[in-house]
Amino acid sequence: MSTDPGSAGVKRRDFLKVLGATTAAGAAVGCTSDRVEKLIPYLVSPDNTTPGVSNYYATVCRECAAGCGVIAEVRDGRAIKLEGNPEHPLSRGALCAKGQSALQGLYNPDRYRGPMVRQGNGLVPTTWENALQLLGAQLARARSGGAAANAAFINQAESGSFPAFLDQWLAAFGMPAHIAYDADATHAAMEANRQTYGVAWPRLDFTAARLIVSIGADFLETWGASVPQQLSFADARAKLADAPRLVYIGARRSLTGLNADEWIAVRPGSELAIANALRDAVGGNMGTLDQAAEAAGADAAQLRRLAAELAAARPAVVLAGTTGADATDVALAANAINAATGAVGTAVLPAEPIASFERTAAYADIRALVARMNAGSVPLLFVRGANPAFTTPASLGFAQAMAKVPYKVSFSSYPDETTELCDLVLPDHHALESWGDSQPLPGVVGYQQPVMAPVFNTRATADVLLGVASTDEQARGRFGGATNYREWIAARAGGPRALADALVTGVADGTVLQGPAPTRAAPVPPSTPIQQTEGDYYLVVYPSPLLGTGAGGNKPWLQELADPVTKISWQSWVEIHPLTARELGVQAGDHLTVRTPTGSITAPAYPYLGVRRDTVAIALGRGHTAYGRYAKGVGVNPLVLLASAEDARSGALALASTKAQVTKAAEHSPLVTTEGSARQHGRGIAQAMLPAELDAGPVEHGEGHDIPGMPPLEFGPGLRSPVAADAQGVYADSGSKDKGMYDPEHWSGMAKRRWAMTIDLARCTGCSACVVACYAENNLPTVGAPWQGRATSPVTWDERPGANILKGREMTWIRLERYFEGGEDGSSDFETRFVPMLCQHCGNAPCEPVCPVYATYHSPDGLNVQVYNRCVGTRYCSNNCPYKVRYFNWFGYGEPDRRQYAWPEPLNWQLNPDVTVRGKGVMEKCTFCVQRIREAEHRARLEGRAVRADEFTTACAQACPSRAITFGDAADASWSVAQLAVDRRAYHVFEELNTYTAVVYLKKVIHPAPAAPAQA
Amino acid sequence: MTKRRKWAAIPGLALIAVTATVLSAYGGAQAGAAAQAQAGQPAPSPAPTTTDTAALRAQRDTQPAEGPWAYSAGSSDQGYSPEQPIAFPHPQHVQSLQMNCLYCHYSANKSPDPGMPAVSTCMGCHTIVAAQKPEIQKLQQFWRDSTPIPWVRIHKVPDYVQFPHMRHVNAGVTCQTCHGEVQKMPRVYQYSALNMGWCVNCHVERKVRYDCSTCHM
Repeated sequence: MSTDPGSAGVKRRDFLKVLGATTAAGAAVGCTSDRVEKLIPYLVSPDNTTPGVSNYYATVCRECAAGCGVIAEVRDGRAIKLEGNPEHPLSRGALCAKGQSALQGLYNPDRYRGPMVRQGNGLVPTTWENALQLLGAQLARARSGGAAANAAFINQAESGSFPAFLDQWLAAFGMPAHIAYDADATHAAMEANRQTYGVAWPRLDFTAARLIVSIGADFLETWGASVPQQLSFADARAKLADAPRLVYIGARRSLTGLNADEWIAVRPGSELAIANALRDAVGGNMGTLDQAAEAAGADAAQLRRLAAELAAARPAVVLAGTTGADATDVALAANAINAATGAVGTAVLPAEPIASFERTAAYADIRALVARMNAGSVPLLFVRGANPAFTTPASLGFAQAMAKVPYKVSFSSYPDETTELCDLVLPDHHALESWGDSQPLPGVVGYQQPVMAPVFNTRATADVLLGVASTDEQARGRFGGATNYREWIAARAGGPRALADALVTGVADGTVLQGPAPTRAAPVPPSTPIQQTEGDYYLVVYPSPLLGTGAGGNKPWLQELADPVTKISWQSWVEIHPLTARELGVQAGDHLTVRTPTGSITAPAYPYLGVRRDTVAIALGRGHTAYGRYAKGVGVNPLVLLASAEDARSGALALASTKAQVTKAAEHSPLVTTEGSARQHGRGIAQAMLPAELDAGPVEHGEGHDIPGMPPLEFGPGLRSPVAADAQGVYADSGSKDKGMYDPEHWSGMAKRRWAMTIDLARCTGCSACVVACYAENNLPTVGAPWQGRATSPVTWDERPGANILKGREMTWIRLERYFEGGEDGSSDFETRFVPMLCQHCGNAPCEPVCPVYATYHSPDGLNVQVYNRCVGTRYCSNNCPYKVRYFNWFGYGEPDRRQYAWPEPLNWQLNPDVTVRGKGVMEKCTFCVQRIREAEHRARLEGRAVRADEFTTACAQACPSRAITFGDAADASWSVAQLAVDRRAYHVFEELNTYTAVVYLKKVIHPAPAAPAQA
Repeated sequence: MTKRRKWAAIPGLALIAVTATVLSAYGGAQAGAAAQAQAGQPAPSPAPTTTDTAALRAQRDTQPAEGPWAYSAGSSDQGYSPEQPIAFPHPQHVQSLQMNCLYCHYSANKSPDPGMPAVSTCMGCHTIVAAQKPEIQKLQQFWRDSTPIPWVRIHKVPDYVQFPHMRHVNAGVTCQTCHGEVQKMPRVYQYSALNMGWCVNCHVERKVRYDCSTCHM
């Protein structure tokens, strides 16, 4: 990249000095001559790289414990995009929103630049030599004092050899095995699975199921391995008429709940009674159902119907993911039903366990550790990849207990709440800078390799451990002579050659190093059952689908991405039923104070149909007091409301264990939402059909779509457009002027192609992975950070988080619209439809004729093109767009010297060099990833061939873990999209406007309850 | 508007219109002439033979400025020839030693980015060859310091333009077509205007796609 000599704020590796000529994605936008740029060559050119051409490296995602396989696209020494690894047995080429955002962890501007050591009240930079010396001295002190056996190491729960490697190292220094902590994990279900099947997580095959019942199991979000589960669920839904019905039982409809065909809203704490009653009913005893329905505050008839359905549908799979004090019992009951309905071995596959979760420790282990810390018996504490000071309830007092530990060492790369309390920080490499392995399934190893040189002066923890061991007489020689972790991994893989071969696809046969099963602390049952705690409302606290319990908070993409359920970003909210809100006199955005015996929080109210009238729900993940500029001070952390209570069997933290008092507070702050309306108002944006209608022959595509005087044309994206039709001669006047490139016979051949997209709403779950993929691919700025708001006076700024979004200034080329159908009276019987909305690339685009400067026009190959350098920012196009998919650069988000700059160094290293960083005052929108189209055309031309069918796809389609999006050339029948575009479920949004869109939606298929009246 | 004012305004507006027309015609003709000169002749007037920066700047500044109304030419750096950290002589390497452009600019035929030679490429010869010359000693100092050479960039299209070198090279467009006869330049200067009109002219003449989204994305 070209840089000013004076702006080298970050230390860069000399051998990765990269040169950029034409593809420079310098953030400055402007003319050619106003500053002198340098062309920096390599010192020594690395092998196998070509400047300006991407390399792709297979590695492992570490954003959650599942450990999906990813492919990192690396351009000129920098990772610029992550995509799923098609060879990987779990992710099969898909990647979720969290996984996409790993890049913003890698390039996070608040990462530690190097090791830090405590000096007084703060941490100050030090050298690695000094830091390692301090570490060695502390280890020696602990060992000589005989206290090493009381030391503790909290590591993130991760798949692979590292946990066992770490335990070997700890043993060498006389320390006990580590605690594999995962605050997001669903321990109760794991514990039940261990008891029933002997494995923590059987793989799930939803395509084999006839009925799916989820008792609070959010399998599309945080419950288990979301990507493989979502892939399987979408495949099941794609069976259309034969698809399994999904019934969700819980107090709050999560994203998984919104994907359900039916919601049985039950009181928190009553799930066990429901699960047991269903188990009895499947066994033939319907007697306990009415009692359970009574306890749950649910409709007994509805429950009886479900029980009958459950007994009849084989296999029917029941999943439990409740978070109360009896969560394991609920999961055990669910497992018993699975055995009775024949799901085990068909839809639930204990023989193919997802191996990533085997070792995960529970909250009880942390609580037991805190007790020891408080007793002053822990001499030394290590923390790596976990943030227990933030992710445990305040009532546990983890932070206070840390003060009683003489020496605390953090391996975190980020200034999180736990690390800020430590005495020594040895920042770890990011996963994309590290070696490692993972065990996705038994017998399969996924290999992790560094995809680029380290961004900062960090060091892989495994290498630090090996380095310390090599200087220690007792530990030396325990690791087979390996001097670094790469050698150690290579030795396990069968030598450097075998490792190199395995890294080609990233997966190979084999097993990772397994350690002995850890001993677990005995759980303590909660002292007060939920029904007896004081308060008016049940409190449900749940991990955010995007931010988890907080790990995602420092990544602006995840802060900016609207929550899939509530469409709120950069803010915490309290979900409350609309009728309850009316009773309290609360409007959306009015602050609610939620108080429990342990604490209180105040946050704006979000009236939500999908929560019971006697329940309020709050998402985890926000409310950081540290963790960098994007996380700190945004939102509130509901963990202050929770007592330190556990599920009595698994030791999981009981998130749904208390009641709360809810009162209206005086303040009001508008909701930072990207939603216009939750209702379709009869516009037919997200359409659905019943299975019976599928067999009714071809579907009529609305009315009034024929142009008067024009012969009816076949249904197809953009193919009927007046522009295309004219070029094809329908309007042609034999005496008219040259049609230029719009003529299919034109030498450029451009008009022979018709780029188009289909989006299958039967598959789409609303997860929003496509949105983050688009952020990464197309250099979309995030605009909601507290310093990015407008000036309210020459010296004051609107510093509310999400201030720009409040003014409708979000920048999201593709957004997930979420519409509710039914439930206007507040009932729980409503349906949800998700529809990804992006530029429809209309063949007859309303935006094009209103542009006074021809900045937007229709390309011959069917794209609605936005030419940034021609745009003068009148915003007429946006006014005239019926889909509202055009976004305006109100501020210079791409200019480093502006307050609103969206990519503070080194976040800008992620920018895609193929895409312009837009300037202030310019309109932008989805381009159908035109850079990928052109790149495919370049590649084909250089190889002397035509672009092959399905050779490439857009970023959103590539990422989609539901495989809902298909992109390609609709004018060529060999592309998948050409067939999908004429599917019997196909429709265009706002077809009546004669926009002739190139995006074709396929209607969702809904599966109403058997006895319920049909509605569409 | 009163009647009297209206009668005063109409000639005034007409005058403005006439002036604008004349000015734009003048500018258009000038731009057209410049384009013609570039298309036909290999090296137009600003070919510098000196390495004196000040003289080059003066030469550039005294050329008739194209008006701001001229098509995309207002921002052209044509003739720009900055002083480089090492006075690299292209004629010596290309003409005397017959080195191929692609030896150093090694990715021009396979990447959008033409590639700049790594310092190690220079040192492949200059560890021994001409090691005593002052410019080579500068090079060796960079090598000893493990510092890449901070070449001053000459050719640059704006960030909103994607220029794939490989497509042009593989289509048989010679390097000299756009960069001029670099093999004869003691010090490299920007030979072509590199503005949009210049690009589009060539694309139209050669029957190459000239849709906006060919380059702007």
